[in-house]
Amino acid sequence: MARVVRVLPPFLLLALLALLPLFHLAANRVKVLFLTFLLITASVAWNILGGFTGQVSFGFAVFYGLGAYTTALGINAGLSPYLTYPLAAAVAVVASLLVGLPTFRLRGPYFAIATIGVGEAVRVIMTNLAFTGGASGYRIVEHVPFRQAEHYYTGLVLATLAVGVSMLVRHSRFGLGLRAIRDDQEAAADSGVNPYALKLAAHALAAALTGASGGVYARYAAFISPDGVFAFQRSVAILLMPIIGGVNTIWGPVLGGGVYGVIEEELAARFPEFHLLLYGLLVILIILFEPGGLMGLLGRARRLFQRGRDA
Amino acid sequence: MTFADYLNLLISALLLAGTYAAMAVGMTVIYGVMKIVNLAHAGFLMLGAYFVYELHERAGIHPLAGVLLAFPAFYFVGMLVHWVLGRGIPVSDEPTLASLLLMFGLWLVLQNLGYLVWGTSDRSILTPMTFATLRFGEITIPKIGLVVFASALVSLLALEFLLHKTWFGRSVRAMIQNRYACRIVGVPVERTARMTFGVGIAFAGAAGGLLGLLFPFSPDFGRPFLLRSFVIIVLGGIESFSGVFIGALILSLAETFSILIIPASYQPAISFGMLVLALIVLPGGVAGLLARKRRLR
Repeated sequence: MARVVRVLPPFLLLALLALLPLFHLAANRVKVLFLTFLLITASVAWNILGGFTGQVSFGFAVFYGLGAYTTALGINAGLSPYLTYPLAAAVAVVASLLVGLPTFRLRGPYFAIATIGVGEAVRVIMTNLAFTGGASGYRIVEHVPFRQAEHYYTGLVLATLAVGVSMLVRHSRFGLGLRAIRDDQEAAADSGVNPYALKLAAHALAAALTGASGGVYARYAAFISPDGVFAFQRSVAILLMPIIGGVNTIWGPVLGGGVYGVIEEELAARFPEFHLLLYGLLVILIILFEPGGLMGLLGRARRLFQRGRDA
Repeated sequence: MTFADYLNLLISALLLAGTYAAMAVGMTVIYGVMKIVNLAHAGFLMLGAYFVYELHERAGIHPLAGVLLAFPAFYFVGMLVHWVLGRGIPVSDEPTLASLLLMFGLWLVLQNLGYLVWGTSDRSILTPMTFATLRFGEITIPKIGLVVFASALVSLLALEFLLHKTWFGRSVRAMIQNRYACRIVGVPVERTARMTFGVGIAFAGAAGGLLGLLFPFSPDFGRPFLLRSFVIIVLGGIESFSGVFIGALILSLAETFSILIIPASYQPAISFGMLVLALIVLPGGVAGLLARKRRLR
């Protein structure tokens, strides 16, 4: 019984989200939900590397942007959009290997800092690249009517896939290896875990999911530019969500992505210059007082509640 | 290109290297003692530039005097930051997730405070020196570059003195080697860490002021320099002070001479290319290379 109670809510939520378009929501609401699915995907992906493996990346916009451009080029070349998403993921995986191969070999802060640089480098290159329109951006021309529900369901399926992958990873031998690396890399290596290979694999997996979400976004937006999809801001957003929700958990990044997706638009509109300041303060407060994020707070509240009931 | 052109490029690279060294050294001391990658370095570089700018605009203080004032001001700011965030900076032999994210959060706060106070437009510190040059035949040297180079060099010499001739410096160097042993022999570990953080931030602020004399700046000023600082300390061997000079020289030479072969619009990508190259070719930096040679002998 207790098991059913624990397992049920995610399925209820999924069913609710799947049926939601039947209720004729306002187009803008559906758009916010769709974008939130993509954010959740990226957030869950970041957590596979940042949370499970403990490797902080400040450069996930690279995967998002490369995925977006791959899908855009693919659709314009006449490919089916659904065929371009795996391609977007593949391109992101290649990029993740290029960053990971030189940096994961070394211990220390090299990977984290390199990810700050790679975002800037790729943005600069894309701004100067002629065949994608450079800084002025790239337009996707698709000769089919725009169906918002299709985008909505694509986003929902992708987010569900990401959560499923995250669960599989966490409960697998692979996930155990990642956790060992996070806790003590030397001990992990001594007990037969290959930190280099596992970190590369986690990075590639996270990149694939993020790249696919970038691809789905590009088809929806129909216009992408380097300053949009490759912006440092986007990397920051992808990193903030799992931290707000709670790193190293399954549902923390989902919660963080959901909260961020719904709040961000409102917050950015109301305090255009202020909202990143708030996020910065939030990160500091979370790290200092509740490293578990929202999930940590929830756990604390539940323990308080249970103690009250037991007494 | 004539020989004089090459010489001009070389001179400007050398001048830039001095400022780069002053910029990166603050990051090295903090990393060496506390194993924290100070991502907020970028924020303090930016604040340093605005500090000098505001003193110059409002109080008419000469920018160089402003840079000098930045040392004590940012020293105390750094100590304050360490005092406030201290509990979130765990003792560790390598950078932790918590310390990286904490410094990143601080950077976000500083940067967006900058946007709140100064807006998004670029500012620059203009003095009569800014556009003046010294001419020797075909060779021209920008006066401001020379002055900034000299100031950077003086501050680096002062740091050398501090590190090698004082008790504080001895504790710092001991802590870089082994902080546990330090605790055993009675080095005040906590106080040294706090003072080191102050010194690191002081150098970030002052270097920011110097950079502000050379380039126009906005609240996002620090980001490209953060990566450059890191490239420099990786090239130099991350915990070595003399390595910083070599790293700064390599980076400034690469950046300056790359305009001969790579279009200038790609320039921001160069420091990243250098970083990847350094990590592949010499992960221990120049200092590591020298140490290996010595061991072989």
